[in-house]
Amino acid sequence: MVGGFSILLWVGAFLCWIAYGIQYSSDKSASLNNVYLGSVLVLVVILTGVFAYYQEAKSTNIMSSFNNMIPQQAVVIRDSEKKTIPAEQLVVGDIVEVKGGDQIPADVRVLSSQGCRVDNSSLTGESEPQPRSSEFTHENPLETKNICFYSTTCLEGTVTGMVINTGDRTIIGHIASLASGVGNEKTPIAIEIEHFVHIVAGVAVSIGILFFIIAVSLKYRVLDSVIFLIGIIVANVPEGLLGTVTVTLSLTAKRMAKKNCLVKNLEAVETLGSTSIICSDKTGTLTQNRMTVAHLWFDNQIFVADTSEDHSNQVFDQSSSTWASLSKIITLCNRAEFKPGQENVPIMKKAVIGDASEAALLKFSEVILGDVMEIRKRNRKVVEIPFNSTNKFQLSIHETDDPHDKRFLMVMKGAPERILEKCSTIMINGEEHPLDESTAKTFHTAYMELGGLGERVLGFCHLYLPADEFPETYSFDIDAMNFPTSNLCFVGLLSMIDPPRSTVPDAVTKCRSAGIKVIMVTGDHPITAKAIAKSVGIISANSETVEDIAHRLNIPVEQVNQRDAKATVVTGMELNDMSLEQLDEILANYQEIVFARTSPQQKLIIVEGCQRQDAVVAVTGDGVNDSPALKKADIGIAMGIAGSDAAKNAADMVLLDDNFASIVTGVEEGRLIFDNLKKTIAYTLTKNIAELCPFLIYIIAGLPLPIGTITILFIDLGTDIIPSIALAYEKAESDIMNRKPRHKKKDRLVNKQLAVYSYLHIGLMQALGAFLVYFTVYAQEGFLPHTLINLRVEWENDNVNDLEDHYGQEWTRYQREYLEWTGYTAFFVGILVQQIADLIIRKTRRNSIFQQGLFRNKVIWVGIASQIIIGLILSYGLGSVTALSFTMLRAQYWFVAVPHAILIWVYDEVRKLFIRLYPGSWWDKNMYY
Amino acid sequence: MVIQKEKKSCGQVVEEWKEFVWNPRTHQFMGRTGTSWAFILLFYLVFYGFLTAMFSLTMWVMLQTVSDHTPKYQDRLATPGLMIRPKTENLDVIVNVSDTESWDQHVQKLNKFLDPYNDSIQAQKNDVCRPGRYYEQPDNGVLNYPKRACQFNRTQLGNCSGIGDPTHYGYSTGQPCVFIKMNRVINFYAGANQSMNVTCVGKRDEDAENLGHFVMFPANGNIDLMYFPYYGKKFHVNYTQPLVAVKFLNVTPNVEVNVECRINAANIATDDERDKFAGRVAFKLRINKT
Repeated sequence: MVGGFSILLWVGAFLCWIAYGIQYSSDKSASLNNVYLGSVLVLVVILTGVFAYYQEAKSTNIMSSFNNMIPQQAVVIRDSEKKTIPAEQLVVGDIVEVKGGDQIPADVRVLSSQGCRVDNSSLTGESEPQPRSSEFTHENPLETKNICFYSTTCLEGTVTGMVINTGDRTIIGHIASLASGVGNEKTPIAIEIEHFVHIVAGVAVSIGILFFIIAVSLKYRVLDSVIFLIGIIVANVPEGLLGTVTVTLSLTAKRMAKKNCLVKNLEAVETLGSTSIICSDKTGTLTQNRMTVAHLWFDNQIFVADTSEDHSNQVFDQSSSTWASLSKIITLCNRAEFKPGQENVPIMKKAVIGDASEAALLKFSEVILGDVMEIRKRNRKVVEIPFNSTNKFQLSIHETDDPHDKRFLMVMKGAPERILEKCSTIMINGEEHPLDESTAKTFHTAYMELGGLGERVLGFCHLYLPADEFPETYSFDIDAMNFPTSNLCFVGLLSMIDPPRSTVPDAVTKCRSAGIKVIMVTGDHPITAKAIAKSVGIISANSETVEDIAHRLNIPVEQVNQRDAKATVVTGMELNDMSLEQLDEILANYQEIVFARTSPQQKLIIVEGCQRQDAVVAVTGDGVNDSPALKKADIGIAMGIAGSDAAKNAADMVLLDDNFASIVTGVEEGRLIFDNLKKTIAYTLTKNIAELCPFLIYIIAGLPLPIGTITILFIDLGTDIIPSIALAYEKAESDIMNRKPRHKKKDRLVNKQLAVYSYLHIGLMQALGAFLVYFTVYAQEGFLPHTLINLRVEWENDNVNDLEDHYGQEWTRYQREYLEWTGYTAFFVGILVQQIADLIIRKTRRNSIFQQGLFRNKVIWVGIASQIIIGLILSYGLGSVTALSFTMLRAQYWFVAVPHAILIWVYDEVRKLFIRLYPGSWWDKNMYY
Repeated sequence: MVIQKEKKSCGQVVEEWKEFVWNPRTHQFMGRTGTSWAFILLFYLVFYGFLTAMFSLTMWVMLQTVSDHTPKYQDRLATPGLMIRPKTENLDVIVNVSDTESWDQHVQKLNKFLDPYNDSIQAQKNDVCRPGRYYEQPDNGVLNYPKRACQFNRTQLGNCSGIGDPTHYGYSTGQPCVFIKMNRVINFYAGANQSMNVTCVGKRDEDAENLGHFVMFPANGNIDLMYFPYYGKKFHVNYTQPLVAVKFLNVTPNVEVNVECRINAANIATDDERDKFAGRVAFKLRINKT
């Protein structure tokens, strides 16, 4: 990042020392100024280097997190003996035993299992526990049921299996190597800064060499020419700028952290602003990552449940007695329980023991009915059959809380079609009706409708066991099933979904208007993915997929004109069969894209596809599986709550609240910082000309040197630092979220207009103003401007101690030198005063300052104050320190450049006025930076 | 999949440059069409014209604050410096007695320097003033100029006047004259009404030994008050500043001698650490004899 400038400054420093060496060899009493200057330059280089190193050091080593995931111990059967050994000692072919709660020690092929379920979410993104058995079900190792993966967790049951892969050769290890294999691409801002450094270095080197040649051909001594060269380099390189940029970025990073975006890589702050495509995960980012009851169906009617984060507003009709029965089933036929000790936690935030659907039902009923555990206590559970994948239902028998009713209540829930099979009646408005064709049909319509919303549907039924057949003392036997499981009474359906976060639809709309394409990439089923995409606006209300059109027009999919569809849902399987060109075509042609059932590798392919479109891609993710894509993306965004360590490590940014909406605020900050950096750079570049001109004039016209190199450093690293940082606090000029993301290759940070306007317009005006102060000081001391021309040689001759001024007075060398320093100080003050005007005009690029508000950004005024105070300290406090070559300046000289400062302001207002009046005109094209 | 950076071939680069310089399709020269160039040149003509005017105006206003006769500020000139004549490159007076050329240039310079002090010119242009008093010529409300200057006759320099001097200010005999002069400072009342004089010593002990005897003209190196104050080049047209000549009689030959002369005046400090020429002057003297 600092390469270009560092080299220039190193060259400058060495030239200084060489110059001193030559001076010293000819004159032992040569002044140490050049040594100081060289040292200061090296110091600047080193400081910037340390800064850069500090940034580098912060970028983390992704592999370390994979090391941390190694399970400590594994139970292995060797020599027909069970042994516990460290997991890294496992070899392929070992037989291992894993029980519920353990981490899987390696990739394992299941030999036998008992009710084993694993949590693969970190690997595949599937949030539901996956059953594992010895059955081979799929070609794809990620899909088949008989492989357990390294680093995933066995939630329940036990499994015995044979190790098939260890360490780096495991699936997860493969992903890890994918992630570490993806090179760190340069961030857009790094590219921009490099571009800027090239421009400035180019200007510095070419002017330096040009004037070196001019100086030599003007018969200056080579040593002098070298010193000129140093001056030109120092004047041209904005020493303080890179530090300023870093500080500016970290200020924004801090601001973003307050809005729940934790930025790990500073440069990512801006990357987010130039993002044109966001590939977002579904679970947890767009959704709340918890199953929630979304719809109910009873009394032949679909009711909508409130799915917002706090769940408080359940408005569906609860008066029907069907609901009373349904609620009872929901409450009783449920094994989930709240973890103890959470009395003060809001219901929706309580931790639950049990699987996701049961937890959803538990919370749903707790919200509506109140204390569920109390209700369960009153309706003592007699016996139960837990859910299993062969039965596909769950059943329990309870005593009722009605003391007069001695019947047992059997409640059952499960897959709707299985439940319906077991029923002969259906409850409508609290009364049992026989289940006939037509009611079955309404059931199916409702079931299909809810399923079509991507929701997981459960059916509920019950049966009051007749008291005569099943007296209170009856002993139920689960294995014998000595109770009826058919001819039950169907009560209702309930569908659950992981609902979108309430802030997401808004955020997606904002992205749209900001020209950012939001693509959903998920491991979930296409239907669910599409449903969520629709509900958050990733697929907007009025756009259709090819399938939708086919369905609407009732024609086969092949006959639909691809161009009519704005949206598309692509599954991982389809993606597998696609060539890169086809993928590019999809990415380019569809505005609204959902990728479902995708694998980690595919996510990477999608990201690369987007990058081929010259897009700046942001990727969100939480699982280990996401880390390659996070790393590959221009900006990887990991989830702070749900995210795995690997994901967080691979990411450039961590969303502390896992909320997609926070990304949008991040984008806004990122765009603002780009604009503000532009202003900062324009501000900083301007004075370069004012610092450079003195050297050029000095060489060509032979005036006493108007400003010293040390003085220049005091501007670059002193008075200008705080003001340029202050520009980072500037508010946006217009709604930055209503314009397109900047084009990576066209909208540069430093463009031609900016350079020309800063250098040739304002910079030149500033130089003139500073020269005015300089000439004033000399003239009022006796050296009128015309006497200064070609005075350089005599002026700097130590042995001329009676140099005559305009009035016939004679000056010793030291008296002249002191005047020269006064001239430095005057020139410095001239630049300083005009930099204040420069700072004010840089607040906006298009709007008038008065539209923007002169006092809205208070930090600017802090900057101006700091500028003046540092200037006063340098002039009046340190005026007596010779090495710094500042002197006490007469107070009135501070005001000499004011007319020029005002001119700068007026000129810039005129520029902005014409830009606003004639957008797209010649003026706009040439003057807007 | 790694995105490869496109490398341009040399030919492409040349081609692009050619197109940049002259694009036949769009008729663009260096990225601009003719009209665009015309616009931009016109703009800069007007803009820079305006800037020049603005700068000239502010400079003119500034120059109005500066008088043509006396400087606005003189804070840097509180202590006038001393200088020697002949003026040499490194403030060293080196005389190879046998080598005429080595000192001839000094002599030429001195002749020229002392020309205005010729008695005839002095008598013609300047007044005879009363010694021991400042020669004040106040304006009293109306500008009173040109102001008169007091005579400093070359003959006052005695053996160093160089008039009818076959030894060329002593350079040909190894007894050179060095002239000390005090820097002119406008309205400076040197000596604060007390007499002042210039003294010279060897800088270090060995220098003092090597320096030997010297004589000063006017006697004791006195500088009279009547030559002050100075009113500036424009007012004090024929002003000739007072001189003190030092004739070194027996400098040890072939040795470099560091000589320091300073003025003893009530209001001229000679101990400024930074300004080595404030009220004093140090120079090297070397007489080479074979």
